[in-house]
Amino acid sequence: MDYSAPDERPITDAVKTEAQRALKERPSFSIRTRIILGFLMLFLFSLGINITSVIMLTRIQSKLGFLESASSYTFEVQQARRFEKNYFLYRTNLADAREHTYRAREILEGDREEMASVVGVAHFETMARHVDRYEELLSRLEEPNEKRGGDSPPYEEIEEELREHGAEMISVAGQLLAKERESVENMLQASKRILIFIIPVLFIVIVYVANFIARQMLQPLNRLMADTRRIADGDFTPITPRRRYRDEFTELAMALNHMWHQLVHRHDLLVQAHKLKAVGTLTAGVAHELNNPINNIMLTASMLEEDYKSLSDRERLDMVRDLLDQAERSRIIVRSLLDFARESELKTGLLQIRDPIEDVLQLTSNQIKLSKVKVVRQFAANLPPFHGDPHQINQVFLNLVLNAIDAMPHGGTLTVTTRIADERDYIMAEITDTGVGIPEHVLTNIFDPFFTSKPTGKGTGLGLSVSLGIIQKHGGEIRVRSRTGEGTTFTILLPMAKVPA
Amino acid sequence: MNGSLQIMLVDDEPIVGKRLKPALAKYGLEVEVFEDGPGALRRLREKEFDIVVTDVRMEDVDGMQVLEYVLANSKRTKVIIITGYATVEVAREALVKGAFDFIAKPFKPDDLRAVIDRAAKALGHPGIRKSDD
Repeated sequence: MDYSAPDERPITDAVKTEAQRALKERPSFSIRTRIILGFLMLFLFSLGINITSVIMLTRIQSKLGFLESASSYTFEVQQARRFEKNYFLYRTNLADAREHTYRAREILEGDREEMASVVGVAHFETMARHVDRYEELLSRLEEPNEKRGGDSPPYEEIEEELREHGAEMISVAGQLLAKERESVENMLQASKRILIFIIPVLFIVIVYVANFIARQMLQPLNRLMADTRRIADGDFTPITPRRRYRDEFTELAMALNHMWHQLVHRHDLLVQAHKLKAVGTLTAGVAHELNNPINNIMLTASMLEEDYKSLSDRERLDMVRDLLDQAERSRIIVRSLLDFARESELKTGLLQIRDPIEDVLQLTSNQIKLSKVKVVRQFAANLPPFHGDPHQINQVFLNLVLNAIDAMPHGGTLTVTTRIADERDYIMAEITDTGVGIPEHVLTNIFDPFFTSKPTGKGTGLGLSVSLGIIQKHGGEIRVRSRTGEGTTFTILLPMAKVPA
Repeated sequence: MNGSLQIMLVDDEPIVGKRLKPALAKYGLEVEVFEDGPGALRRLREKEFDIVVTDVRMEDVDGMQVLEYVLANSKRTKVIIITGYATVEVAREALVKGAFDFIAKPFKPDDLRAVIDRAAKALGHPGIRKSDD
């Protein structure tokens, strides 16, 4: 695992690039397109119903036209037959019979296409043939009439055939009429049924389309809401695609990823800023601490110069040694500060929990002395090591120790305890102060970024948030318990390194 | 006032006492060195010093407490405060409380001698100078 901030940035960059690429790479299928498609489906469905209705109505209309023609035709044929009968009985009205036959034929001719389409061409031809023949036979009847007393056998035959065709015409027309009436009846019934049936279907389709659109919008919205909540809670992993298509929400997800990336970046900067703030605090103490060896050097060098001749060799040597010792002491003070302030190149390794604690107690020895704080060390012997980045762990203990010192402005006792935690496989370090304590109502907020109980401009409000982040990265946790006026204990749990036996 | 001035020097840095004791003795001053506040306070109960030079920042008992004790028990004793950090506040606080003067680390033996000289004069003493001149 990699813990350092500078090394981490390229990783988050890569993760971001990968997530953005995955989001972008999906085929585009925008919400707009989906809504349009949904409504288009609805429109096509309605259009289908309309076209069907129009077709049916048109057909019913043409059937009605045909029925009218067929009725007229039947009427004319019936009239013709009546006159035909009169002719055979009384030899009258032959002209009337011909007249009606002619009209019947006209009706057939006039509505030829319409009728043919309804009854079929073959059927229509049969009908037309009957009428033609009937008319022809009637006109033959007229011929002997004009000649007066012509041959009678053909006359009988004509009568016979005339009756036959006439009956045929009536029967065909009647059949057609009945059949077409029934078919119109059926079509009307069907139209009615379709219209009734269409209402629930249309309702279901509309509900489905509405639901579909709502789902298309609400689902990603809910997801993004969950994602933002997740990111706010400190889970810094980017949003990855969970659907097959790219849409308007993809843009939003990418914008959120960008924001997330900026947050991580800012967080790193804040961590660094907080560290520099701690360096500032330390620098005041260190500058102060440096004055002591420098003063010692100055006094010793002055006296060496002043009494050079009168001093014995042993005294001079002692002074020179003091000079060297104090110079070395200055060097250590400066180096410890620089070590802390330096952008740490990452070194994780097996650490003993007491090492970073001792480093920090050394680093803060001035603040501790200045605040008249007594340090009590209760280190358990032979603790197993843990895996960690010494610089980051140092920073955590530094934050906690500086906080503890701040909590005890009039002095107190800082107790540092290390031992095996009650939880198996964890090492525990406790930093206990006898300071002012933390009021219960803010105890839950103290790890929030920018939360500070210190006066404006004094605390960054990042110390504990940064510390928590570091410890969590190490797989551990920080706990706190506090009583106002009695003091505060911060407990750090870190997982033991699994050392092969 | 006859005899040498009685000086108490309190600083938890051993080298300070080690170097300043002979440095001041050369100027005819009798110097007792203490490396901690409690020891200094104990000695103050037994003996009145003319001048007390104390570091302000020490564990257990700091320079301010030494100053307060001296002010409460020995009106004529002059207290010179050594500050490790020459911040205005600490210096002002010491002076307001009644310190004679303060001197900031790092300093040279002559700087302290000058302050002690002024304190000696304030006590009605002719002032200090190198004894073997």
